[in-house]
Amino acid sequence: MKITNRIKKLLLAAAVIAVPLSAKVNEDVAVPYVAFPIKMGKGFDVVQAQCLTCHSFGYMINQGPQSRTFWKEKVEKMIVHFKADMITEKDAEIITDYFFEQYGNGKLK
Amino acid sequence: MERRSFIKTALSAAGAAALGSTGLNAATTRQPVDNRKISEVAFPEKRPMITYSDRPPLLESTRDVFAYPITPNDQFFVRWHMPDIPTRIDPETYTIHINGLVEKELHITLDQLKNDFEQVEVTAVLQCGGNSRSAFQPVAGGIQWGNGAMGCAKWKGVRLSDLLDKAGLKKEAAWIGFNGQDNAAYYKTPNFVRELHLDELDDHVIVAYEMNGEDLPYLNGYPIRLVIPGYYSDSWVKMLSNITVTDKYKSLFFMDVAYRVPDNECECETPEKRAKKTKPITKMNVKSVIGYPTQDSIVTHNSHLVVRGVAFDSGQGIREVLISLDEGKTWDQAILDDGSAGRYAFRTFRYSFKPTKYGKMKIMSKAINKLGEEQPFAKDIQWNHGGYKYNGIDEVMVEVV
Ligand code: HEC
Repeated sequence: MKITNRIKKLLLAAAVIAVPLSAKVNEDVAVPYVAFPIKMGKGFDVVQAQCLTCHSFGYMINQGPQSRTFWKEKVEKMIVHFKADMITEKDAEIITDYFFEQYGNGKLK
Repeated sequence: MERRSFIKTALSAAGAAALGSTGLNAATTRQPVDNRKISEVAFPEKRPMITYSDRPPLLESTRDVFAYPITPNDQFFVRWHMPDIPTRIDPETYTIHINGLVEKELHITLDQLKNDFEQVEVTAVLQCGGNSRSAFQPVAGGIQWGNGAMGCAKWKGVRLSDLLDKAGLKKEAAWIGFNGQDNAAYYKTPNFVRELHLDELDDHVIVAYEMNGEDLPYLNGYPIRLVIPGYYSDSWVKMLSNITVTDKYKSLFFMDVAYRVPDNECECETPEKRAKKTKPITKMNVKSVIGYPTQDSIVTHNSHLVVRGVAFDSGQGIREVLISLDEGKTWDQAILDDGSAGRYAFRTFRYSFKPTKYGKMKIMSKAINKLGEEQPFAKDIQWNHGGYKYNGIDEVMVEVV
């Protein structure tokens, strides 16, 4: 596995907002944004556009390094089961490659 | 090493998101990942916890809370499916709707719930079906929880059956659908609706508004959630707003595909040969977790050490908890609490001894329920693709100095 990729942290959103505990009644509850470290690489722009609508980055990489098939099937699952039908076949390919390169285990299957 | 330092930063910056097992191929189950770092970021009404995601919020409790019978609200695990959770709830106007195949549709406010019905309490364990999923190899799909996607609380509310009685079920009524206020971020994504068959519901199922004497925390489903003692938490719908009675089962992603295990004797399969028939995870199997000492702690030679932990099952009741200090060759009985918290609650255990050998020492706990069902060794638990229902004998490694 290649481990020399340039590693950068990307702040997905602004700093954390402190919340009063009794927020339920009169004010909005503010769920903080957590800055998950993200590995930059080819195709990240597509991932950012297509994969962060429904969940955070942390949610996707939680399963650790995985095979190309694993990532391919995840992207398919998003399209088939969760109806992320805005993702084109071409984008699906780019996204799969991004995850396999950055969060892959080196195995195709 | 660059990669190592990346993992370290990732852990301290964001909690556990980036930590996973690397491509081990041997398909043996092992101990779940333990001792993950807590995040620096606290979520509303919570202390900083192990944090997997902010949208939807996914927070895990640390092992030390399992030294106690009740899990504090501010350390109780959090698992939402959908990212779009209302951020403002008005308790004056919040209403649960009961409709479908009923004689009379009901719209019940919080106030009515608290005043017009008999109030009941139950102490019950809430555990995610995927708790401890990180034990499975190869990696099973879903959040790689350690042991902390569970907790035990005293819930207060109203019996679901009392609400349904008041509405009056029509005779064709067979299924009850529960929907909460959380929504998918995209309009076509299926919502997290659960359905239960009437036969599965008994008087222990309650519509709860209080947890450990306080309003439910926002992240645990304020203002109302379903409590189904003995069952995994996938159907304990949070921010419950709709109860719909039907005669037919509706096909739903989160019922038909998620939270299911192979429908065979061992509830197991292999990645190459997945089981064709599956069934819902429903009732919890017998499990124990050590709360003290925690992984990698240092204990003093010849000191009086008290191991503490919790055990539970689906409500059959815990018969005994055994402790082993020799890799499971010999077992010795721990002392159980009096069980007065009820059969759905954590049963705490304690075991005192003096560590007489220096160096690393493994402490193991195994619970046995009243049916004689006991926890298997981790390595003997067979794989299922969703990584559900792990209940291996618990292990904690400490160092005696
Ligand atoms: C239309 C909404 C939507 C989009 C867009 C989306 N996802 Fe998901 N994703 C979901 C839902 C819903 C879940 C499951 C939530 C649950 O089970 O609680 C999920 C879960 C996941 C998981 C966790 C593992 C699993 O199988 O549940 C991964 C990994 C994931 N998504 C990756 C991706 C990737 C990669 C993309 C970009 C191609 C993407 N998602 C885009 C809705 C979406």
